[in-house]
Amino acid sequence: MKLGLMKTCLIATTALLMLGTAAQAQGVRENYEPVTDEMLLNPPAEEWLMWRGNYANQGYSELDQINKDNVAGLQLAWAWPMADVGIQETAPLVHDGVMFLQTNNNIVEALDAKTGDRIWQYRHVLPELPAAWGYQLNQARRQKNSIALYGDKVILTTVDAKIVVLNAADGTVAWEKQVLDYQVGYSYTIGPLIVKDKIISAISGCSIAGTAGGCFILAHDANTGEELWRFNTIDDPNNPAQQESWGEVPAENRWGGTPWATGAYDPETNVTFWGVGMPGPYAELIRGSGDGSVLYTNSTLALDADTGELKWYYQHLPRDNWDLDSPFERILVSQEVDGKMANMVVSVPGKNGIAFGLDRDTGKYLWSKETVQQNVVTGIDPDGTVHINEDLISTAVGEAHLICTSVSGGKLWMAGSYSPKTQTFFVPLTEACNTVAPTQTEFTAGNAVGAVKFGPRVLPEGITEAGLVQALSVSPTEGDSKWQARSRPSMTSSLLATAGDLVFGGDAGRFVKAWDQETGEVLWEQRLNAPIGGYPMTYELDGEQYLVIPTGYSNAASSISSAFPEIPLPTGTGNSIFVFKLPAAK
Amino acid sequence: MMLRGLMTGLALVVSLPAFAQVPPELLNNTRRQNGESITACFDTTATTLEFDREVARLIADSLFVDLQTRDGFGGFPIDGAGFMDELSIAMNNTCDLFMGISVQVNSQFPEWAAVSRPYASMPFVLAVDNPDWQSLADIPHDRKIGTALQSLGELVFITWAQQQPEAERWKRLPYANFELMLKRVQDQSLGGMLLWQPSLVKLQQTVPAARDVRIIDLAPVPAVDVHVGALVSSKDSFLRSQVDEAIDALVADGTITALMERYGYTGHAGE
Repeated sequence: MKLGLMKTCLIATTALLMLGTAAQAQGVRENYEPVTDEMLLNPPAEEWLMWRGNYANQGYSELDQINKDNVAGLQLAWAWPMADVGIQETAPLVHDGVMFLQTNNNIVEALDAKTGDRIWQYRHVLPELPAAWGYQLNQARRQKNSIALYGDKVILTTVDAKIVVLNAADGTVAWEKQVLDYQVGYSYTIGPLIVKDKIISAISGCSIAGTAGGCFILAHDANTGEELWRFNTIDDPNNPAQQESWGEVPAENRWGGTPWATGAYDPETNVTFWGVGMPGPYAELIRGSGDGSVLYTNSTLALDADTGELKWYYQHLPRDNWDLDSPFERILVSQEVDGKMANMVVSVPGKNGIAFGLDRDTGKYLWSKETVQQNVVTGIDPDGTVHINEDLISTAVGEAHLICTSVSGGKLWMAGSYSPKTQTFFVPLTEACNTVAPTQTEFTAGNAVGAVKFGPRVLPEGITEAGLVQALSVSPTEGDSKWQARSRPSMTSSLLATAGDLVFGGDAGRFVKAWDQETGEVLWEQRLNAPIGGYPMTYELDGEQYLVIPTGYSNAASSISSAFPEIPLPTGTGNSIFVFKLPAAK
Repeated sequence: MMLRGLMTGLALVVSLPAFAQVPPELLNNTRRQNGESITACFDTTATTLEFDREVARLIADSLFVDLQTRDGFGGFPIDGAGFMDELSIAMNNTCDLFMGISVQVNSQFPEWAAVSRPYASMPFVLAVDNPDWQSLADIPHDRKIGTALQSLGELVFITWAQQQPEAERWKRLPYANFELMLKRVQDQSLGGMLLWQPSLVKLQQTVPAARDVRIIDLAPVPAVDVHVGALVSSKDSFLRSQVDEAIDALVADGTITALMERYGYTGHAGE
């Protein structure tokens, strides 16, 4: 009876899908030029081939047609509404004149990058009876999964824990693979990194009861989908220090350790770099790990791209009790100093907003720099040992502490950018605090879905401007504040740095801005339809440089909007992209 | 009279506020046309799902309305991320009642939702394999105790432990998988396991080995009951009062007690 019903639902769903597909005109991009390994190693300046533009995750473009002398003249070229509502964190890609735009619910659209006309659309079909499957539905509306281009394919990771490979020419499915079991809670919420025929990505859902003991960075063959290696971020049998760091908690009782941002890759050493998030449960009082540092949560991991072997790790926040996770983008920076190359990983890895510089080859701590107001880290020794404020660790259920930054950052998913030209790291941040209290308050009786109680996000005392763009002058010895640009509303988008000496990004007040890389002066601003979001990027086509600005519904805006009530958020999501260019030369 | 009032109450549901983390397009702004029915929603992964279904039907019968049901809400993280989003959408668009809610003093439910009077109160129990132990106090302190993750029982256990000298505490490990916790009791990794009595009933129905463990006294840790109720929109005070009255009647006439006995649940009807 039950099976019969399921089958009927499935048939009905399939029928609806076919109707839906028939209603959409599906085009074909003839003679699509495949993306080669060489292109990924040295991305053409006029294209944007991967999440942050290059393997180093720099969010930087060599294009300079739009520059600080003419940016004030930018005009709208075209705009496009996204295919679905939801939280908007999209990362558009451009190759061979085609823009690949992923939106909520694992929808991918191919658009003509010059005109904005749609070529094809792919809508991922979720498994049957999705209503009983609340978490994945929730995550499906949070489109964080960037996509990847490789060969003549578009590669995406889905909320039902699949890798799906599309033909770039027409959006049809070439193959797909169920990587992990979505029914126990696994879900992809970040996109893939392509390295030499391998799809490297990381799974989410590691704080769900059924996924205890396993949170993975995985590599699959890009042609067959075969799994090549996996690395467990919370259970490393090869490292006794990692096991001891959880106290007496065995792997089967550990949660968390989700890598929430796509990794970087160093072709010189064949090493890929990933950030790892918080432990679960959040409070050590509940998780039973005592004063252990709970590795590899809140760490940077350096893994051999061929084998997944751990080369080194560095923990940015040990003993996390406040969901201040540290999974955000790791940026690879190389600088020549006194005739020698200094290879670094530079990042604001965690919500507490502290910037770090690490030696890329050894993981050795080089420097750190505080940005927004925070009260959890009390100091970092020259050897990189991070000290936390133990007074902020709850010793009783319900005991609340005011924690700065808040659970929404500080830093959040919005990525910073690094300009090799000015050797400056630009970071979007938000000033915020909230109270945190471990509270065992199961929602549905008998279920392991409880909560840490977070108070409302508020601005730190004495601060009236939530938004901050921090420019850090980076060297192997320090990250020095070059300038700060503050704004009343919170920052809601990633940043894009260009060779035109500009940094682009935007805020909850719907302003997209261009800052002068050297001074932080706002050289252009435009108010759009919704909070600026996603990952701004740029490309060049037929001799013209285009600037892409995503907008839409933003958790980074709504979670702290009560701190700037005079700037109302739109009541519609308005998920869109706006594409700007300079006026045609006369 | 009751029905007309109920329909008025249902109309008020549509005026729920916009919730911070949910795109507003997902919230219906239409007046529900339920007719003479109410919709009860369920967490499909709830321990007492079938019991809650029967209670919902009894409540609907008491109110002389038809019962519509909707399942969902499964699989959320242990920190509850996303749960309130989905619940707020469902309570705005679909559900008049959300059954099986844990009624607690420090409830996490926001102001747009109110909990009904509890229709059942069921205890946490300590289950052991060792025939010599009669209470937690008999278990040596060097043995670990498994606790149901994120549960009220775990809260009470932790709170009690924090009040004791370290030498008089038992080490505790949190479990979300009760079959695994049972396995660890039976392979002696754990001295005992603290879980909700309905969870133990469910385990005993699906895992034969679970029938080999027995319940002992939780002392010196205080006894703890989970009060189970329903969620109602706080805007719909009339429906809430009607549901409370229906629950009171079902408790008073022994209907809930009989239902609990049929399911093998201990504890008592009502609060």
